[in-house]
Amino acid sequence: MQMLQAILIGLPMTILVTVLSLALGTVAALPLLAGLRSGNRLLWLLSRGIIDLLRGVPPVVWLFILYYGVSVGALRLTALQAGVIGLGLVSAAYLAEIFRGAISSVHSGQWEASSALGFTRTTLWRRVVGPQAWRTAIPSYTTYSIGLLKDSSIASTIGVAEIVYMSNQYARQSGEGILIFFIAAGVYIALSLPLGILSRHLDTKMRKVVAR
Amino acid sequence: MSRIAPVSTNLVVQVRNLAKAYGDHVVLRDVSLSVPEGSVTAMIGPSGAGKSTVLRCMNLLEKPDSGEIEIDGHLINAGAKVSARNLAALRRSAGMVFQHFNLFPHMSVLRNISLPQERVLGRSREEANAKSMELLTRMGLADKADQYPARCSGGQQQRIAIARALALGPRVMLFDEPTSALDPEVGVEVLEVMKELAAEGMTMIVVTHEMGFAANVADELVVMADGGIIESGDPHEVMSDPQHERTRRFLRAVLER
Repeated sequence: MQMLQAILIGLPMTILVTVLSLALGTVAALPLLAGLRSGNRLLWLLSRGIIDLLRGVPPVVWLFILYYGVSVGALRLTALQAGVIGLGLVSAAYLAEIFRGAISSVHSGQWEASSALGFTRTTLWRRVVGPQAWRTAIPSYTTYSIGLLKDSSIASTIGVAEIVYMSNQYARQSGEGILIFFIAAGVYIALSLPLGILSRHLDTKMRKVVAR
Repeated sequence: MSRIAPVSTNLVVQVRNLAKAYGDHVVLRDVSLSVPEGSVTAMIGPSGAGKSTVLRCMNLLEKPDSGEIEIDGHLINAGAKVSARNLAALRRSAGMVFQHFNLFPHMSVLRNISLPQERVLGRSREEANAKSMELLTRMGLADKADQYPARCSGGQQQRIAIARALALGPRVMLFDEPTSALDPEVGVEVLEVMKELAAEGMTMIVVTHEMGFAANVADELVVMADGGIIESGDPHEVMSDPQHERTRRFLRAVLER
């Protein structure tokens, strides 16, 4: 019973870290995406460099750097802040690539038709390219989100009290080592299954609408 | 097909000394063209002659290196910087129909035609839909309004694309090989619509391989090869008595196959 309690206490934190990192990652991916699509060689190089740097270093190392390394003056990140920022930035790099791929999958004729019709750039992105790219991106986006849900456990290493952290503590205190981790595994599956089902459902539904 | 000769000689489209090259590869050399109001100009010629490029330069889907384009009084000089306002005005004056239709696949047929009216002309949803339905009815496609483009045949999609362009009230319609991606039988549906448009007095420039259309509907035939206009004039005269050896060769290839 106490076992379940430990996990249930960690559960909201797991969800919080995942949701916040994903939100931060999605927003931060946009300027990176703009850089990747920029005709300006310097901006492109800058974006490319940031993405490769973010992806090239293991997330756990980013969390350590942010948590233990950033303490300039009064600024000291809490474990949650460091966890969300670290995972969020890494997500931004991957999501920027996902979005870039989705945008380049939109047929060039869509741009041409929009230009020929005299659409503004805002209309082009919001009404034509955006919705089509988003549809293409949904499967990869949810796959990444499910991955992030599990990777949020990395935040346990800097003391964010999410599922794995709580499980670990319980295991050490009670001495019954392995069972709680099986339960934790079950909870992760229970969380990610509906996400996967939702994604597939959205995907097939949208395809049905536009397909022959 | 009998047509009333254009009453005025008001030139809707004027292209002067258009030139374009990709590096060493010259795609257009000194192309000039005038299109009177209410006339149909057919552009023919072998692949790679630059026909589509001329058409795409007219509404600046491609930017020429030099030359001038004037559509309905909106002048664009390739050498100078193009103002957004002038570009918008030019594109509003010219409706474009593409070889591959380029309908928006994620919108219903009705939205495809209504959205540009709302965004570009500022029409209300109701006004736009009313105009769209009027055009769809004219195209014989009123029952397709709520379908998605992928559920329509190629010929239907191309007619929807024509309706989408017409809905903005263009002064000239530019057709870029509108039937090339269609089965011959399906292409006929589209050609019929184009003939009706021509009969109603729409100014049209049509890049095509449809020799029947070029001969019977067009007022002016323009033959292009190697990035330049090599011959132009009355379609029947050009076809029966081509002055240029290159035209003769091309016409033999398309007519005597």
